[in-house]
Amino acid sequence: MNLANSITIELEGRKIKVPEGLTVIESLWDTGHDVKRGVGCLSGLCGACTVVYLEKDSKKVRFGLGCQKVIEDGLIVIMLPYFPSRVAHYLLTSMDSPLQHLAEIYSELYTCNDCKACNVCPEWIDVARVMKAAKDEDYETATNHITDCIMCGLCASRCPKGIAPQHVALFIQRALVVERLFPPNLHQRLSEMESLKFEQELARVAAMGTDELESYCHTLGEA
Amino acid sequence: MYSGAMSDAIEKVNATRERRKLEQIALLPEEAAQKLLNSYHPDYRESAFRNLRVGVNCGARTTHEIADLLESFSDLDYTKIDLRPEYDTDVLVLGGGGAGATAALFAESNGARVMLATKLRLGNSNTIMAMGGMQVSVDERDSPVRHYCDTMAAGKFAGRECLVKALVNDGPQIVKWLLDIGVDFDRDAIGNLLTKKAGGISAPRLISIGDHTGLNIMKVLKDEIGMRDSIEVSEFTPAVELTTNEAGECNGAVLFDLGRKRHFVVRAKAVVLATGGSGRLHMQGFPTSNNFGATGDALVIAYRAGARLEGVDSFQYHPTGVMFPEHMVGVLVTEAIRSLGGHLLNAKGERFVNELETRDICAAAVIRECENGNGVMTRSGKGGVWLDTPLIEEISGKGVLRKRFPSLYRHLMRVKIDISKQPLLVFPTLHYQNGGILIDKNGETTVKNLFVAGEAAGGIHGRNRVMGNALLDIFVFGKRSGLAASEKRFNDPGKVTLTHVYSYYNMLKSLRISSVAKSPTLFPEFIVNKL
Repeated sequence: MNLANSITIELEGRKIKVPEGLTVIESLWDTGHDVKRGVGCLSGLCGACTVVYLEKDSKKVRFGLGCQKVIEDGLIVIMLPYFPSRVAHYLLTSMDSPLQHLAEIYSELYTCNDCKACNVCPEWIDVARVMKAAKDEDYETATNHITDCIMCGLCASRCPKGIAPQHVALFIQRALVVERLFPPNLHQRLSEMESLKFEQELARVAAMGTDELESYCHTLGEA
Repeated sequence: MYSGAMSDAIEKVNATRERRKLEQIALLPEEAAQKLLNSYHPDYRESAFRNLRVGVNCGARTTHEIADLLESFSDLDYTKIDLRPEYDTDVLVLGGGGAGATAALFAESNGARVMLATKLRLGNSNTIMAMGGMQVSVDERDSPVRHYCDTMAAGKFAGRECLVKALVNDGPQIVKWLLDIGVDFDRDAIGNLLTKKAGGISAPRLISIGDHTGLNIMKVLKDEIGMRDSIEVSEFTPAVELTTNEAGECNGAVLFDLGRKRHFVVRAKAVVLATGGSGRLHMQGFPTSNNFGATGDALVIAYRAGARLEGVDSFQYHPTGVMFPEHMVGVLVTEAIRSLGGHLLNAKGERFVNELETRDICAAAVIRECENGNGVMTRSGKGGVWLDTPLIEEISGKGVLRKRFPSLYRHLMRVKIDISKQPLLVFPTLHYQNGGILIDKNGETTVKNLFVAGEAAGGIHGRNRVMGNALLDIFVFGKRSGLAASEKRFNDPGKVTLTHVYSYYNMLKSLRISSVAKSPTLFPEFIVNKL
């Protein structure tokens, strides 16, 4: 290891020199930490590698992902790969209009006083806005903003009321789908399949040899 | 942030942009395309392959990386393991991605007790990285017959008829199931499932959830598993060996507890192996888009148990993986960027291939440019070509990149690269294992009571997989294998043994093979050598 271009950081409470340009996860590996619990996709999507850091001369502790945060000189950083969050127990398939049960299932949501401490999302989600929309029963707005949620739980770690916004939002997202209109095009296709509309043609095509199938494919064209 | 030579190279991209807007590059005629593949595609590089000397597929061609694992003794001392089961269950699911989760849910709903063991956390998988969407024929212009033809044609007609038929026939039912458990697919104005076209697909068939399709499905599956009382989840416990009974049928697995650093045995009536692909073996030194745990473990342990493999000499190299910044090497840049008109450019700022060619041809063309000295070098000496993303903003309007590809945009903004103003350096990345362990239409392998689902399975995608079919395949065969495995719940699993391992090792010994490898690999070795 060439330490000529190295910088000094404080990693998991230990001041140490590491080569510049590494991510937090890579610096942990480089310095002998056998990190497995906080590693997943290495692409910033699985939410396993959350970190808390303080940059040099900064007054504000920040939050991010260990596979995405590139280290800088003077950085103080620890991993926070897990934060205890309550997950409610419910069976969506046995509920008629699940959204009406939100207040029982996640009653803590209604203690939210919009302090916005949860706005630390590494995916730039305005978590406070999602929670406010949820409280105001504007469920479409709430779900529209959580498609990018990676369930890392950093927002939950900041909430003084002990709300786990990622689980509340996921319940709303799931419940909303159950209450939506069943897609007409899927309904149509399912009934066609039930009446075996494609069965014969599919059996015929599946029985074709390679050459025959290849020329059949050419005749299909674009739909 | 770009600097030095790379900044200079970007000037050339900017200089040619206006001219390139009008430039047309024809698709390669079949013969020229084949020649390009033969010369530059990694699957055709004979020196990277060898024929297996042991096992069911003796004589079959595969990469050195896989052959090294199959032709070796495990570093595990199999003679000293205590084979008394610590857990007894009906269905043991190995793997916590989309396929494993689906198998567990269906097995449970059919009345089986299920244990799901995974190497990392439940949900840490390649499923969450599936961005573009899932192929299902729900559009009125589309049909399962078209889906069948597209899948077979893309796989160069090497896929198995019964598997592809199962795939396309089950699609609509699978979407219904996903909707029932609360997966929020994108809709059009009247509530239809929104369908999109993509390369190699003859009708609008991709259904999606923004650019985070797999992630949003996995979140729901994981949540749902937590609600089912008969599914026990065991995280950080990868499988290192399967177990068999007196008749050679699979009846459990040896797992390794990463925390306690000890092995333990789970006995089951049936096992569903869903541990995914092998990108982290970094075939031929390629970067990969795969997650940390994708080390091909399923191939190794199933092969020792006598399961037949198929097509494990065929891999998908996605033409556009990130090559710079260094910490993102291998991360996938979706096909959609090229579909929107993004150009691929060499160091001179010139196009060298029609960007809408199939994945294998585009990948081969990029490799050709880099090998012939037309690549752009990074500080650490790796080469790549430019993907002209600012061009898309010029064609489709300002802000389109941030809107359509929010996660890619964000990840690069974090390191001060604005892809709406600067191009992105890319190089082919090892993306998908086209082959795997051969299954029948219920997901069962040639070893009785051993099922496989997901990327670990082989026979579906032939020699090339078309976009969106992997996401469908994990649910279709997850469901089929979960249901079929749970039907075995009244079986007597028999005595837990490692007899198959002994006989496999005897074969190795008779061939004077004595190499010992960490097999299965479990975790890739990370050598941080960037400077």
